[in-house]
Amino acid sequence: MRALYQQAIDRHRQRIFSFAHYSLRVREDAEDVTQEVFIKLWQHWQKIDHNKLGAWLMRVAHNAVIDHVRKQRPQQANLDQFAEVDEQVGARNEEAKLDQDLFKQQLRLAIKSLDDPFRSIVIMRDIQGMSYGEIQGSLDMSASQVKVYLHRGRRKLRENIELRQLFNEQNDGVSGIKQSVVQAATNDKGNGHVQ
Amino acid sequence: MSNNSDSQCYFVQLQIDGYLDGDLSEAQQTVFMSHVQDCAACAKEFHYAQVVQDAVLELPQIDCGDMVLEPIYRLTDDTGSQRLAAEKQHSIASRLADLLNAIPGFYRYGLSAALVAVIAVAVSFNVPTPSEDNLNSEQLIASENEQQYSPEEIAQALNDLNLAIEYLNQVSQRTEVMIADRFLVTPIQDSINASFQRARIRESDPLQNGPI
Repeated sequence: MRALYQQAIDRHRQRIFSFAHYSLRVREDAEDVTQEVFIKLWQHWQKIDHNKLGAWLMRVAHNAVIDHVRKQRPQQANLDQFAEVDEQVGARNEEAKLDQDLFKQQLRLAIKSLDDPFRSIVIMRDIQGMSYGEIQGSLDMSASQVKVYLHRGRRKLRENIELRQLFNEQNDGVSGIKQSVVQAATNDKGNGHVQ
Repeated sequence: MSNNSDSQCYFVQLQIDGYLDGDLSEAQQTVFMSHVQDCAACAKEFHYAQVVQDAVLELPQIDCGDMVLEPIYRLTDDTGSQRLAAEKQHSIASRLADLLNAIPGFYRYGLSAALVAVIAVAVSFNVPTPSEDNLNSEQLIASENEQQYSPEEIAQALNDLNLAIEYLNQVSQRTEVMIADRFLVTPIQDSINASFQRARIRESDPLQNGPI
């Protein structure tokens, strides 16, 4: 049983952790969620339909992420700021970073800012490459619902103001993207959340 | 005329994801592309959608380190070994019970009664005086403790305790806030409580052992 359990962990750990990480944007929280998911797997090992293990794990991960967001909501704004500033300071330290990297950093933040289930579906489908059937099983939705939510989620992602602004700046040939991000990082640096 | 163009733009932009996913029919694709080629706003929106979609698809899968899963492996190790030990102990107990059942009833009850009588006589002749009682009290407590917990049980309890301490250290290193709410602590506490509970049950009835 333990060998099978470890095999299951090895098989699904990346997917679970990625999902949690893109949903929460804080590595420690994603690690907590990953641990929680696999502890639940151990606790429910006998009762699970092992043919649908992947979907079961994603459902548990999805619920764990939602619980985590609820628990952390009062601190979430600070954590968001921290994650953002962290990335922006990282960008400042590596001035040679391409605009594309900045775009992806903003994209990650934009994904995280999506509401559920848009966020979960975009992550599962576009980042993790899960099939509609798998997502359906994980979120207990019909295939058409998944598709509608996916398209809406993508549209919401594109409506992210900062992301669109970055795209416009890059495509208009404006070279001040890094400068603006560095400026934002400098302004936010003294928020006192993490010393 | 302008309204017509606006509504066309609206519908074309609604179809962007369908186009990117390859869900549109050939006819729809033709209409879509011909509009995008003629309309600068839709062309820009389409390009933006492509860029975003490509960037999302390029986002990597991230793996957690082995350190994250190490406590889980250890937890399952402990639980698994406890379960095995319980099963083993249970099988020994059931074999003993089978053996006792194999003895004819007359001898079984007669022997038990005789044994009880012998013990009662031995105890009545060896009742310690108050001074002897004081002298031997530590030895009695020690022997009592030895009877209550086997070395394996004590080692198991210590293992559980160490595991719990390690967990708590890790969690407190990560965050000093809301440590009590962390979900990792609860299963470990359950595990420890269960082992203590089991130790108590074992004391009263060794046949009631079972997995956590």
